[in-house]
Amino acid sequence: MQGVIDFFTNTLGGLWSDSGLHALFGEGGWKNLIMILVSFVFMYLAIAKGFEPLLLLPISFGMLLTNLPMAGLYHPDLWVLVDGHVNYGEVLKEGGLLDILYLGVKLQIYPPLIFLGIGCMTDFSPLIANPKSFLLGAAAQGGIFFTFVVAGLLGFTAAEAGSIAIIGGADGPTAIYVSTRLLTGGGAITTGNIALAAYTYMALVPIIQPPIMKALTTKKERAVKMEQLRTVSKTEKIIFPIAVTIIVSLLVPSAAPLVGMLMFGNLLKESGVAARLIDTAQNALMNIITIFLGVSVGATTKADQIINLKFGGVMLLGVIAFSLGTACGLLFGKIMYKVTGGKVNPLIGSAGVSAVPMAARISQKVGAETDPTNFLLMHAMGPNVAGVIGSAVAAGVLLSVIG
Amino acid sequence: MNIIPIILADKVLKGTEKLDGTQITAMTIIGLSVVFFALLILVIFLYTSGSFFKAAKPGQKQAEKPKAAAPAAKPAPKAAPAAKPAPAAPAPAEDDSEVIAVIMAAISAMGAADGKQYRIKSVRPVARGGSGRSAWAQAGIADLTRPF
Repeated sequence: MQGVIDFFTNTLGGLWSDSGLHALFGEGGWKNLIMILVSFVFMYLAIAKGFEPLLLLPISFGMLLTNLPMAGLYHPDLWVLVDGHVNYGEVLKEGGLLDILYLGVKLQIYPPLIFLGIGCMTDFSPLIANPKSFLLGAAAQGGIFFTFVVAGLLGFTAAEAGSIAIIGGADGPTAIYVSTRLLTGGGAITTGNIALAAYTYMALVPIIQPPIMKALTTKKERAVKMEQLRTVSKTEKIIFPIAVTIIVSLLVPSAAPLVGMLMFGNLLKESGVAARLIDTAQNALMNIITIFLGVSVGATTKADQIINLKFGGVMLLGVIAFSLGTACGLLFGKIMYKVTGGKVNPLIGSAGVSAVPMAARISQKVGAETDPTNFLLMHAMGPNVAGVIGSAVAAGVLLSVIG
Repeated sequence: MNIIPIILADKVLKGTEKLDGTQITAMTIIGLSVVFFALLILVIFLYTSGSFFKAAKPGQKQAEKPKAAAPAAKPAPKAAPAAKPAPAAPAPAEDDSEVIAVIMAAISAMGAADGKQYRIKSVRPVARGGSGRSAWAQAGIADLTRPF
């Protein structure tokens, strides 16, 4: 009888010590508990407030899964570089579901495929019709490089500073692409931290940008009505993605995967002969990749990587990056306003930070607040899509210089 | 032709090392310059190709002009029993007959309630403000951009 009782208690004890509950209430378990609560906050923001739900929801659920103790879905130790390389054999042998999905992030497969879908959905006509918009898209990348300065001065390493700075590009896939390449694992900052900050601030663009836009522009500048854009021919639209791919890839080869896939998607769209491919790229493929990307990036937000001072620094620098990018675009817009004799509304400059199409919508909204008959949306779409290309080029620069 | 190694030796900044003032300054200046340079080349390319396509267009326009002028001579379609062909004085440059028919239909619908009949004597364009768009275009854009 005693043997049966011993077996019973031993089995129950074993089950308890192997359970997540035991780990959750054991040493350091409180961090997981906090992270689970944080994941609930992000789920709430995604579901109730509509903050970038397509990505924030998978990321927050990935965060929940990875912080459930003993579930073994993701193992950060498998991704620490050994002799400069990840042991992929070990990942395949020992990894959990989210480790396997994270392969697509680590091998830089998902972000370019997301760009393929974005390319299928993007109309570059406003940019082709008004090429000056490219300069606004370039100016807004100042947010990336000026944040690099701040991060460098605060003592972050080159890889960390580059990963934090790219948040200023306001482009989630680009931020993930750069941080995955630069961050070697084992450090206090992960791709998950960067993605979380990037998507949070992208969702907060309507709150972050308008005060800066109003502070840096006068009412007269905001009221400028821009000339109607010319019609762009189909031939121009077809030549554009091919030319951009060649020019950017030759100048900054590190940007080729992102820009190349973005432009490939756009060529599919503009060619008008690949309806089935466009349908797959912008719907099924994009949705599948978004789920894989979101949930696996969310998995990198282990409690130890989030509950520390450095993550606080990432969040702080992230908002600085966004604000600086917005300010740089606006200030360049003001220069263009002066140079063109008041023909350019500086508000379209803030759309140069990417965050398509949210940033362009904000330009439209702030412009319409000054004059309801002013329609800046199409004019702002030029810098907005230029910002996507600009941030990909900036990403290429960071990857080329930081080893 | 990777321009980064031309300016700097490849991978000059070690990812795991902290940055000094010179590195930060160099990276910022080079980074912004490369982004501007790359996008400036695209601007030049687009202006060049754009001017080529614009230059190719006038001939096309001339060929299309007679086509566009022909329907303008047609009388406005009758939108309501009271509607007469619009005299359209001064005659608008483009074909506004459909617009006039729509206006007439709207006026007729309004007049139907009190039993009166109206006819359009003339249609004159109003000042278009600073945007250069017609009221119809303004209304269309307002409708499309309202959700944003």
